[in-house]
Amino acid sequence: MSASQPQHTSSADTDVTTTASTPDPATGPLKPTERPHPLTPFVRGWLVFVAIAIGWGREIITSTGENQFQPRGLLWIVPVLGIVVLLAAIAGFFSWYFTRFVIDDEELRIDTGAIFKKSTKIPFERLQSVDIVQPLAARIFGLAELRLDAGNSTTKLRYLTRSKASRFRDYLLTRAHGHQASIRDLDQQSVASAFTDLGMNDQPLVQVTPQRLIFSFLLSTEWLIPASISIIIFAGTVAFEMVPLALGALIPLLIGMLSLIWRRVIGMFNFTLAESPRGLRITRGLTNLTSQSVPINRVQGVKTSQPLLWKPFSWYRVDIDILGHAQNDGENSESTASSVLLPVASADEVELALTRVLPGFDLDGIALHPSPKRARWLRWFDFWTLRYGWDDRTLITEQGWLTHVRDMVPHAKTQSVRIEQGLLQRLLRLADVHVHTPRGPVNAVAHQVDEEIARELALSQLDRARAARAAEREHRAVQAVPADDHRSELELLAAFGTGRDHILGSGGESEVFALDHDRVLRLYRGRHEGPQRTAAQLRSLYDSWRGIDIGIELPVIIDMGEHNGRFYSVDRRFSGRNFSTWLQYADMAQRRPALISFLDATEQLQRLPSPAPGFAHLIGGRAPQQFSTLAELLATMLQGPLKTSRARLEHDIPRVSEVWQRLHADLAQRDVTPALVHGDICPPNAYISQGPSGPVVTGIGDFSPHTLNADPLMDVAGALIFLELEPYADAAADAAWLEAVAVERHGRDIIRWIDVYRRYYGFYFSNTFAFEPAVYAWCIRQLSR
Amino acid sequence: MEELFAPPAYEWQRLSPKYRSMRTLTSLIVPPMLFTIPAVIVGVASGKWWISGIIWAVAVVIVIIRLAFVTRSWRSWGYVEREDDLYITHGVMFRNLIAVPYGRMQLVEVESGPLERAYGLASVSLRTASPETGARIPGLTPEEAIRLRDRLTELGEAHASGL
Repeated sequence: MSASQPQHTSSADTDVTTTASTPDPATGPLKPTERPHPLTPFVRGWLVFVAIAIGWGREIITSTGENQFQPRGLLWIVPVLGIVVLLAAIAGFFSWYFTRFVIDDEELRIDTGAIFKKSTKIPFERLQSVDIVQPLAARIFGLAELRLDAGNSTTKLRYLTRSKASRFRDYLLTRAHGHQASIRDLDQQSVASAFTDLGMNDQPLVQVTPQRLIFSFLLSTEWLIPASISIIIFAGTVAFEMVPLALGALIPLLIGMLSLIWRRVIGMFNFTLAESPRGLRITRGLTNLTSQSVPINRVQGVKTSQPLLWKPFSWYRVDIDILGHAQNDGENSESTASSVLLPVASADEVELALTRVLPGFDLDGIALHPSPKRARWLRWFDFWTLRYGWDDRTLITEQGWLTHVRDMVPHAKTQSVRIEQGLLQRLLRLADVHVHTPRGPVNAVAHQVDEEIARELALSQLDRARAARAAEREHRAVQAVPADDHRSELELLAAFGTGRDHILGSGGESEVFALDHDRVLRLYRGRHEGPQRTAAQLRSLYDSWRGIDIGIELPVIIDMGEHNGRFYSVDRRFSGRNFSTWLQYADMAQRRPALISFLDATEQLQRLPSPAPGFAHLIGGRAPQQFSTLAELLATMLQGPLKTSRARLEHDIPRVSEVWQRLHADLAQRDVTPALVHGDICPPNAYISQGPSGPVVTGIGDFSPHTLNADPLMDVAGALIFLELEPYADAAADAAWLEAVAVERHGRDIIRWIDVYRRYYGFYFSNTFAFEPAVYAWCIRQLSR
Repeated sequence: MEELFAPPAYEWQRLSPKYRSMRTLTSLIVPPMLFTIPAVIVGVASGKWWISGIIWAVAVVIVIIRLAFVTRSWRSWGYVEREDDLYITHGVMFRNLIAVPYGRMQLVEVESGPLERAYGLASVSLRTASPETGARIPGLTPEEAIRLRDRLTELGEAHASGL
């Protein structure tokens, strides 16, 4: 029993400040610190208690038994046991008594030690994951351990009540993601279920039923091989009456099999992969319950594997490399953080999980090439399974027959590359290419590739890795807020009596915070004068619509101003919920009428008057800017985005100039009376409320520099095609269905124009390639139709 | 054949000739040393010294093979500092080429054991976040090793990109 608590398993960590002295009281007013739950020493010493219970039990049994076979000599064990237990209890008590922790709005600190005081303070931003572990004994008492991963070290805080642990976990994860939050706000939140640790806001993605887990385990190659070997050995030795001879081989095999059952079945029991507002979360375990968060930005690679006998069921297992989880490499025990993303899952579930761990990656679009036929001389046992392929973001390799393994490595995570060629490979002009990733189960090797391809793959891999990292950096730069901006932002939010925890939504240009029931604060990003002009133009546009009733709520800017260089506006709050969020949790019966009302609302927008007659760009730099034809207006609109994305599009779509010319030819033929076009009519910009006969879209917000006076069909097309970008499962089906509804309303002619506007928006949003890969992938699809 | 491992448009930097001398010496000494202990044990234990003779003969054969390959092995080593990454190649029978981007290097070490010091040699090893990288250049002169270390560290900082 260890007396040091929390355990600090760290070698050379620079991330966590650990001082070997009492915290200096001069640093500030003394804060109330807490102790872990008083039952902690009992739970930690439960093994000792079990031992003593058995000892006492034995004494009672033997002393009540009448037979004389009562070796009094053995009774000396009882006092010794008693002393051991007493010492352990005292150590446990002291370790508990001297453990104090603070988790509040300012810091996360754990002080331990009676004689050698140790104070561990972990900066919130350094937290990589916060896991909850409940060993069986703790679970019985409703207690849980909080495991904090920062840098290379793991700090354990045990034990807390389960509800407290999960509240701290939620709070710490919010802070770890760089959001401001207050621990007091989380106090009122609902407490997660004791069996699955799923909170109110958690949406289970994949749940593995016990039947499937056990059945798949029995069919897995790693179980069948030792099991069949032991049966053969056992049968063989029984037949020849040499059982004792075989024990030497059988016992290690049986131990190995038991540990396999322990890891694969008991540790993975009730496995649930869930999506919470703070990222992915895994909950698993029969006796010990482990709840582990998956830090997406630390995923270094993904491996799916399929034992031979899983093929008929198309089941797969998914493992991921997580940076910093290296210590537990291969050790997927019950309570440590594991690399398993899904122990067994169907192809659909795997695909769903992959969209979450590798968001925006087009894994199906990568063509896999088989290794050349001559590889059979070297890999006669599995040459037909060797495959490799890559695109500009990911490398995929496949191999194996008894267990088919597929490794996927995002280029940005490549560490180094190695080409290897043995003597026989040289004769056959083959080589292996290893792409190195940080420690973990993923091991991408393109086996037995033709020499020249191997060279090309290896040498260009580092260029791809460099390009991918540059794109990621660009993405991060777009998201990151400079530190002094952060401070002034907090001041501004405080001045309005709101805070980061009241955030309602965020987009590329601004973030929106709740003020009260009727108003929101919109905070524009960046310090340049762009947003100011945009907001002023929007305000006069919205003012010109005052008093016009088209049956839906429109945005109203109540006030605007500047504070410490940050530009903001106070807008009227829309009633209802955000349509995009609502769509994710609604079922089809609710969704479809709501989508019709969304289309209705879109069509109503064209009744709004435009401040500039004719074809015009209404908001932005030189707006209002008028054009004599639709084609001219739209060509001007495309200039900006294409300046950034042109080279990229030319690379990704070989015949892009043809698509471009066809678009202009089509637009020149369009004959239409100009009307108001929102330009970005997607569910995140719409609001839905409960109407008398079901949910209805009641508001459209976020007019922007995309807003035009142009072809009203652009918005109708937009409402259908942007729906495909929604993250819920049936979005594409809903979009196709809504398109059929629109065609029924407007006639078959519009099919052609929807297609034209698909290409238009494909070009228009193609500058998202650096920071919104999912949108860019959508653009590519539109342009390749 | 050679093209597979040649760096595009660069010349390989080769190792110091002293490395060849050192390898010749170790090839002569190490196998007999390793084989003598079991040979003596077998001889003393069983009294059949002809078995020891066979073991020694094996050692001699290994020495001959290694000596035959010393020059080729020494010549197979090469490294080149490219704009964004370092290439290292080696191996006679089993050839390999590793490319490590400067931005991914976490640690550059110069090492020199007693034997290497006696020959005036040092080696440079590089670490990345991946344990498989295992990039090491032996047989450099100390000046070259230190130059390389400083250069790589500098380039590593310039290209640093985090993980």
